[in-house]
Amino acid sequence: MDFRWDLIVEYAPFFAKGTLLTIGLSIAGIVIGTFLGLLIGLGKLMRNKLLALPFNWYINFFRGTPLMVQILLIHFAVVPPFLGTTNAIVAAIVALSLNSAAYIAEIFRAGIQSIDRGQMEAARSLGMTHVQAMKFVILPQAFKRMIPPLGNEFIVLIKDSSLAALIAAPELMYWGRAMQGQYYRAWEPYLTAAVIYLVLTLSLNFLLTRLERRMATE
Amino acid sequence: MKKLKVVSSVLMVAFLLILSACGTSKTGGDEKKTVRVVTDAAYAPFEYQDKGEVVGFDIDFIKAVAKEAGYNIKVEHVGWDPIFVEIKGKTADIAISSITITDKRKQTYDFSVPYFFSKNEILVPKGSAIKSAADLKGKVVAVQNGTTGQEAAEAILGENSKDLKKFENNNLAILELKKNGADAVVADNTVVEEYVRNNPNENFTVIEDDGAFEKEYYGLLFPKGSKLKADFDKAVKKVIDNGTYAKLFKQWLKKDPDIQILKDQQ
Repeated sequence: MDFRWDLIVEYAPFFAKGTLLTIGLSIAGIVIGTFLGLLIGLGKLMRNKLLALPFNWYINFFRGTPLMVQILLIHFAVVPPFLGTTNAIVAAIVALSLNSAAYIAEIFRAGIQSIDRGQMEAARSLGMTHVQAMKFVILPQAFKRMIPPLGNEFIVLIKDSSLAALIAAPELMYWGRAMQGQYYRAWEPYLTAAVIYLVLTLSLNFLLTRLERRMATE
Repeated sequence: MKKLKVVSSVLMVAFLLILSACGTSKTGGDEKKTVRVVTDAAYAPFEYQDKGEVVGFDIDFIKAVAKEAGYNIKVEHVGWDPIFVEIKGKTADIAISSITITDKRKQTYDFSVPYFFSKNEILVPKGSAIKSAADLKGKVVAVQNGTTGQEAAEAILGENSKDLKKFENNNLAILELKKNGADAVVADNTVVEEYVRNNPNENFTVIEDDGAFEKEYYGLLFPKGSKLKADFDKAVKKVIDNGTYAKLFKQWLKKDPDIQILKDQQ
């Protein structure tokens, strides 16, 4: 099999630029998504069913429809009325954040509900309010349990950011496709992109493992 | 690598066995060789899917050519990128998908004689400041990734310019133009003219610039060194000469072909 390394060298600066944007999109998606996810997860846990309903449907919509459609919708229908023009990077960040928030909300809910009911009762009997008990007793314990599924979600998010290539956000996969389109060779660009994605996800994995070890109490 | 080869050949044999089990094998008679034709059926009216069936000008044309050349064909929709993977890997024999003959592509593949003449045109909103290809400089241009429209735009804006937005297909590129994300779209004349004809109330207009954009010719795509090329070259010429080409052209593209311009190239 002939593998044209020279083409990869030629495209290396573009892959580098694309990788930076991919990292940017992923970090923005993770940070905004985690924040929104926490709010939505707590919203869904509300005892008032009517108040919890919108949060429920938020999760249903963003988990139940393809991310590709969400990206196209946000790029061509949601962002233009606000900015007057399309903006692929903004659209990608919004789509990734909103989408991951739905998954992260469920991770938060599962984490919180996995904490024994007695913890809340004990905290309340010590005179804490519900919010205090959540903040100081339940969430710190729940967070430890959420790390593995959150890591899973972040890795998925990094890879899903490649869908932004559809709306011509110049991230990693976009340059892979551009290179493919120029030379009509599939393996050089796509395998290069795959290796870079692997490095990104492995780095994230490394960080999460360290975090997990630091949080371990035993 | 060796292991991979063994595995893939085992898979290949298994696949062939399944295929041969499916086929209704007719014995006797003159044996026609069946060739596998791949296409990206997302480019009406050249090739597209009509209720799951691949149809279009290219499809009828390749059928006529194959009949002339004495081959059976099986047309399959695989998508644009996979076309080049399949032809390069020789898992398909021919590709027909409005593929423009270019020197870059000729480095890796063989082409038949040209069977279609085309050129790039610029799609802009009515009243746009862009009047010619040179005016595109400094403007944001949307194109379909991997097309000659992209190459034409890159010749003006510079390769991999930040003002160039490469989309999965022309529809998305035109949508970007409609939402003010781009100032112009560069694509094949058939695409932009068809778009303006189908959407007269969207106030788009087409700009031709024969001085800036080169003439383009579509060809059948073969793997490098394919033995089929000679037979199909002959058949393509015959189909163009005997009037079948003009008939199909009129049927699918609603106008008469410029046969002379094709013959000059052959």
